[in-house]
Amino acid sequence: MTGTPSLADTAWHLLTSAAELYRDSPRASRWLVGCLERLADPLRIAVAGDQGVGKSTLVNGLAGEQIAPIEVGAGTSVFAWYRDGAEPAAAVCQPGAPAVGVPVARRDRQLHIDLSQWQPEHVERVLVDWPARGLREMTLIDTPAGTGADWLAGQVDAIVYATREPADADLALLRSAQDSAGGPVTTILALTRADELGAGRIDALSSAKQIARRRRSDPAVHAVCQNVIAVAGLLGQAGRTLRDDEFVALRALAGVPRADLDAYLLSADRFVGGDLPVRLSSEARVALLDRFGVFGIRLASTLIRRGADTQSALAGQLVQRSGLSELRESIGSFFSDRAEVLKARSALTGLGLVLRAEPRPPAGRLAAAAERAVAGTHDFAELRLLAGLRAGRITLPGTLADPAERLVGGLGTSVAERLGLPAETEPDELRNAVYDELGQWRAQAESPLLGAAQRAAARTVVRSCEGLLADLAPAYR
Amino acid sequence: MSDARGWACLAVDRPSPYFALKGAHGTLDRVNAPPWLTVLDDTITACNTHRRPDLAHRLQRTRGRLLAPQLRVLVLGMLNQGKSQLINALVNAPICAVGDDLTTTAPTVVQHADSPSASLVTEPGAGDRRVLAGQAERVAVPIDEVSRQVSRRAGGQDGHVVRAEIGIPRKLRATGLVLIDTPPVGIDTKATLAAAEQADAVVFASSATAELSSAELELLGRISAACPNILIALTKIDLVPRWRQVAERNMALLTDARVPARQIPISAALRMAAAQHGDTTINAESGFPDLIACLRRQVTAKSAEVAPRTVGVACGQAVTVLAAELRTAIATPLVTRTPDVEAQLADAQRAMDELRRRTGRCQTVLADRMADVVSDVEHDLRDRTRRILREVDRIFDDADPRAMWDSFEGWLRDSLDKTAEMNLGWLIERCQWVADRVIASFPSDREDAPADALLAGTTDPVAAVGDLDDPRLDPFGAGQKLFTGLRGSYGGVLMFGLMTSLAGLPLINPISLGAGAAFGGKTIKDESDARLKRRQAAAKATAQRHIDDFFLACGKESKDLTRQVQRVLRDHISERADDMAGRIAESSRVARQTAVAAAAEREQHRQTLTGQLQVLAELHQRAVVLAGQRLAAPEPAGLELSA
Repeated sequence: MTGTPSLADTAWHLLTSAAELYRDSPRASRWLVGCLERLADPLRIAVAGDQGVGKSTLVNGLAGEQIAPIEVGAGTSVFAWYRDGAEPAAAVCQPGAPAVGVPVARRDRQLHIDLSQWQPEHVERVLVDWPARGLREMTLIDTPAGTGADWLAGQVDAIVYATREPADADLALLRSAQDSAGGPVTTILALTRADELGAGRIDALSSAKQIARRRRSDPAVHAVCQNVIAVAGLLGQAGRTLRDDEFVALRALAGVPRADLDAYLLSADRFVGGDLPVRLSSEARVALLDRFGVFGIRLASTLIRRGADTQSALAGQLVQRSGLSELRESIGSFFSDRAEVLKARSALTGLGLVLRAEPRPPAGRLAAAAERAVAGTHDFAELRLLAGLRAGRITLPGTLADPAERLVGGLGTSVAERLGLPAETEPDELRNAVYDELGQWRAQAESPLLGAAQRAAARTVVRSCEGLLADLAPAYR
Repeated sequence: MSDARGWACLAVDRPSPYFALKGAHGTLDRVNAPPWLTVLDDTITACNTHRRPDLAHRLQRTRGRLLAPQLRVLVLGMLNQGKSQLINALVNAPICAVGDDLTTTAPTVVQHADSPSASLVTEPGAGDRRVLAGQAERVAVPIDEVSRQVSRRAGGQDGHVVRAEIGIPRKLRATGLVLIDTPPVGIDTKATLAAAEQADAVVFASSATAELSSAELELLGRISAACPNILIALTKIDLVPRWRQVAERNMALLTDARVPARQIPISAALRMAAAQHGDTTINAESGFPDLIACLRRQVTAKSAEVAPRTVGVACGQAVTVLAAELRTAIATPLVTRTPDVEAQLADAQRAMDELRRRTGRCQTVLADRMADVVSDVEHDLRDRTRRILREVDRIFDDADPRAMWDSFEGWLRDSLDKTAEMNLGWLIERCQWVADRVIASFPSDREDAPADALLAGTTDPVAAVGDLDDPRLDPFGAGQKLFTGLRGSYGGVLMFGLMTSLAGLPLINPISLGAGAAFGGKTIKDESDARLKRRQAAAKATAQRHIDDFFLACGKESKDLTRQVQRVLRDHISERADDMAGRIAESSRVARQTAVAAAAEREQHRQTLTGQLQVLAELHQRAVVLAGQRLAAPEPAGLELSA
């Protein structure tokens, strides 16, 4: 956003120059064309993590559709890419062979695909086009467990890392996946399966949120990620894809007196096997359990009883409480709003690979330019400050904290949003507002009352304000 | 010793050989001891024999634990698998720390007591390895405080909480069950395994929300080596509708991983609910009655089932370790003091060859050099005597030997003496040089005799020549001169007397007398010259003869001398060579002897070790019998006497 030319423009120019330079090398050309295409494509976000932590559930929750997991052969996970598309379609990409389209069906907002005839080693990835609003701004990639740091560093622009509890192995993987230029700005840590905490107590989710807050201020954790968010993926997925019949069943359950229902909800076995005073077949109950879990049914019935008695209200509450909305907001402000910068960074990283693999005399100039572009990008400094402010690692005196977050783009990255003014404000007024802020923050950057970290934060805000002025300048040409 | 029933029945099952042989004399303990105890004691003895007090100590502790009446049950599991919940549900009281983000940080021991009590055991400096033994302190705390205290005070300033001890009056525990809640595995796996070694049974908590992870399986494999009695508690089954599939999958995984364990699905939440409502149906659903029954059976059958299995596994492992060490010891050759006899012998052989070669070369060099010396010295002598001869000739060409013989004789003697001296000096110098070279070129670590000593005892050659003979020098006396003069003058008188007689003069006239006198004078002079010549020739001949004698004597002397030197040097070389050869031979003999001794020692050592291995193999066999299939499966090779 700030500064001219933007990082994306710089990346485009550098890549086209490089493509010109490497015209005679088919391999380098192919790679560079791929990088250029990536610049134009939506942001690529990988959902990574260990076996059984709830990656696919998270993908479904983010996409708002039931599309994951895709299994090949006898239940092997493969890379599944979900892109926005007008019609549901799927293609299997094989290593060293053209992609093969496979039949795919969409029923009840669910993906039905049969790949049991394929051998896992013959499938590089499965490419799914799916009409979903959640996929418009980003391409989601469901990764198999054990995906390496190299892949994460090279193939995607941002990572949502799912784990129940950030173990050393997780942190080590993330550390090696992040190159020096990007730092921790491209990762969000999702503490999944929050609903299983504390034996499924009804307050499990708020407890999980507290844990996430504590993890956020753990230096080892915030060194590798932008944010830590507790997510009950199952609830989020259920909320985003809540169906009529499910809502009807839940409303019926909520009608049962609470004490009675609690007795049936003591365990999954009791819920399926007990003689509920509600007309629900045991298959339906199992299906309900699969979709919501015992905890989800408990929570949903409580929510309905407390007044969320329409389908959309219940769905909204579930998504809200599951932490999924927080995750989506985080993805929005950390990834989607900065998509151009993140993509440009990935593209420049790709360019660096070519320049290193096939060095040529004029390539040195390009490499230096690419490095300068990445190092000089203010967006990363803003993202780091934003994360620090939100995690409480950097505390500014009361009256400064909110404006600082706003100015570095925490509430939106347009000029007006950053200044907290209505979108239709005149440029003159905007410029005056920027001058006001700039003066104030310059003073703060030198203030002896603030600590070193706080002054550094103030300097970052000053730089953001200067960028705003630069953005406003063209109106006066 | 309280639970003698189990041992008794075992003793009847399999009468010990001690019973038959030592029945009358063996101690009571020995006679009544169950087989597992004898195996354990034998293994401890073996560990001590093989200088592994650490293993022995560990087994001793196992022995003490097995003989105690309680059953120590360790509750293990990864983070957030519901370990503390499980214990709380077992005793129906919230005694262990439970929390969403709260983790047990110190082991909590739960056992029976007549009244509820709790205490924290802290050890100052236990976290610090440098402090060897701080005095353990026991602080009593209120029972509802203990869980918070364990979490709060762990690693605090006032010492490290080693463990918490909780006593509660419960029927279950009165039977002798001791439950130990542990910190989650993964923080300190080594400590966990050490704890498992001291437990009679392990309850491994694993959540039903997911099947056993690879990390859990690996851990179970290691635990089963430390404690063979494993119960897997599949927790949180109330949350998971499909826990039965998970349980099946877990059993398959366990079979694949060769971990013998029983799995019991439980739900702490259901158990708590059952306690709240006093509902036995819910209690039955919670799975806890099964778990309790299983644990209780283990308590009563501790000696009959648990102990033999534990001993079998523990002893089997200890013996395997010992055997592995033994086998390594057998395989690695004993390190001898003389490292490589072969190399030493080869070295000696090489040294001998070298010596022989050098000696030969040295002798040749010596002979050559001495021949050179002889010819050079002879030539020198000849040259010098020749020069003297020429001088003699020159002297006697003019001088009259009669007049100067005495001085001549003195000069000649001096010249010859000088010649002999110089020639001999030169000879000695040369010999010295040769001796030096030869001695230097010959390898010897011994202090060398100085070359001078070799040349002592040579004699002066001049003394052997004898004195110069006087030549025959006839004197030309007055009588002879008169006679010669008369003989010459007679002819003159006669000749001129006759000629003058023609002139009428008498025969004897002044003219003839004058002529006679002139003739006589000339004859005397001629005669005197001839005599001088003769004397000179005689003197020359005498001198030449003397010089020849001198040359001969001196030449012989120097030849003798060189021969003598050569012989001395040759003997010296031979002596040195013999000396060195003797030493080399001696050293190789010693090396060979050591090698033989070392081989004998090795062989004996190996036999001893093999014998010990045999004993261990028997012990291992007994352990295998005790452990049943548990030990044989993971190590199919067993103990082979392949040494």
